[in-house]
Amino acid sequence: MPNNPATPHRRGLGRRGPVPGRNGLVPDRRDRRAIRRSGAVAGSQRRLSTGPLRGRLWILWVVVLGVVALWAVTGGRLAPFDPYAQVPAARLLPPLARTADGTHLLGTDALGRDLFSQIVVAARLTLFIGTAATVIGLVIGAVVGVCAGYFGGWSDRVLMRLTEAQTALPMFLFAILLMAVAGASVTNLVILLPTFIWPTVARVIRAETLRLRAEPFVVGAVALGANGRQVVVNHLLPNLAPRLGVLFVIDVGQIVLAEAGLSFLGAGVQEPDLTWGVLISEGRPYLAVAWWLTVMPGLFLAAVVLAVNMLSREMERRSQS
Amino acid sequence: MTTTQVPAPTPVPSPAATGRTRRSWLRSPLGRLVLRRLRDAVIVQFLVVAVIFVIGYYVGDPVSAFASPEATEEQLAQLRRSLGLDQPFWVQFGRYLEDLARLDVGTSVWQQRPAMEAVWEVIGNTVLLAILGAVAATVFGVVGGVLAGTRPGSAVDKVINLISVLSLSVASFWIGLLLIIVFAVRLNMVPTSGWYEWRGLILPVATLGFIHGGRICQVTRSVVLDEMSKAYVLVARSRGLPYRRLVAGHVLRNVAATVLTTAGWEFARMFGGSIYPIEVVFAWPGLGPLMTTAAHRHDFPIVEAAVLITGALVILVNLAVDVASHLLDRRLRPE
Repeated sequence: MPNNPATPHRRGLGRRGPVPGRNGLVPDRRDRRAIRRSGAVAGSQRRLSTGPLRGRLWILWVVVLGVVALWAVTGGRLAPFDPYAQVPAARLLPPLARTADGTHLLGTDALGRDLFSQIVVAARLTLFIGTAATVIGLVIGAVVGVCAGYFGGWSDRVLMRLTEAQTALPMFLFAILLMAVAGASVTNLVILLPTFIWPTVARVIRAETLRLRAEPFVVGAVALGANGRQVVVNHLLPNLAPRLGVLFVIDVGQIVLAEAGLSFLGAGVQEPDLTWGVLISEGRPYLAVAWWLTVMPGLFLAAVVLAVNMLSREMERRSQS
Repeated sequence: MTTTQVPAPTPVPSPAATGRTRRSWLRSPLGRLVLRRLRDAVIVQFLVVAVIFVIGYYVGDPVSAFASPEATEEQLAQLRRSLGLDQPFWVQFGRYLEDLARLDVGTSVWQQRPAMEAVWEVIGNTVLLAILGAVAATVFGVVGGVLAGTRPGSAVDKVINLISVLSLSVASFWIGLLLIIVFAVRLNMVPTSGWYEWRGLILPVATLGFIHGGRICQVTRSVVLDEMSKAYVLVARSRGLPYRRLVAGHVLRNVAATVLTTAGWEFARMFGGSIYPIEVVFAWPGLGPLMTTAAHRHDFPIVEAAVLITGALVILVNLAVDVASHLLDRRLRPE
């Protein structure tokens, strides 16, 4: 029987319909590709990379975070130069420039300060604000979420309304306003930044608490006479801990980016305190003559947030399988 | 009485009989959604106003912004009295709310005119940039998401995945600066900033599209992937429906509601924050530069007006997104 276009069920599976000389029943290369693309059959997923690191890319991200954390903990002792030492002779040197003092790995700024050393020193405040604000946000969110989820009733309604209300607020503008009124300082930033994340945390924790509350071990504990505090501390919190860990990893990247944005607009960390966001905004006037001053701090910022995002994906993947 | 009287069945008023063809619009699910959102909006705005006022009351000193540095303590006190700042807390708060009801947040010391006026003047520019950015983000997200979602596990999928994760991991203003360095400073293809020429829009719109397209891309990929494994796709393929027509006509149509909802949220998120640093980077005459300058000059009325107006804008956009997704896709309806 000839391949008649009028009988659709006799057509091949190729993308462009019937092909002359094909009987349309045996899948050829193009058909196989179409089937694979349709997702109907789980094809063999070839991996691009092979070798011992295959599927272990997360080690790279842990290393990135570890190095930056080490910089933060040692507080500039690993910096090759004094980050505040101004050397007029070594102004705006490009990366890898050599002077009598040594090699400036990432170049120098307009006052002759070594950029790499500044980045190393700035890691401390960047990470401190990021982790401190995230932890505070998680604590607030967890308390609100557990209260709303476990005790329910009016507290649930009020707290959830509050979180809904806050998600509708243009947080960034609000932050600029508050920093303008109250004054931009690291303390105010650490107080303010948690408000960026706690509503989402509260909602996730509330849902998780609702799920846990129906579990036999919680019901059993209540039946055996445990009071609210015992249930929350002994049964709920240990089971919420992994979820909080994932939330921490997700939110810390958001917080670090928000801090950089606020500092860039002058509503965050102020000089002489250094964070990567401050360094980027400092380099901005020299965009046309010294690109490294803006690009390099941003690269470190991106590397840390990327590492954190990739790790959170890895954690998600593991918790699923 | 042994016989129980059967009560006459109460006549069910038919819609035609009551003269109302259908229930009140406000009691429909959609109406309730709108009402609930508006109520939330009022709560939000009130909370914002209250927080602003409390902080201004306890921390800020508006007099120091007005007065000249060499004013004596007596002059300052008189100025406070003339501004009503010696009144008790609740009196001041009441007056403040009264002014707000008339959409008056005060006069900008910097611009010497009502702050609302200054904000209204530039907000159109911000909205224009946000709309263009949202379109760019949607195009990037949908194209990337469909390409990746129809080829799971392929090299294309991996590359697009990497790009979308990158877009979620970089600071928006940094990408803007990077684009300026490459395309304006090095290649000299477009102006670094400015709004008097359409080419000045290319870089800011590209930046916004990249930053916000990542999430749209990831959502699109996952829903397309989900959709492609459904039975109707296999049936349509085996019946000989050309691949492109299947994706464009059936799959895309089914994922449209989810994707548009995500795009709408991204649009709202722009007003929530990410657009302002980008405006500053590209010297776009929108809210971002106005607000940062006002904040530096301690000109709070302008910042306050901007927060309140964009707050209302975010709520309206969110509401529009919810209504649109409600109308587009029955599966997404609440309750």
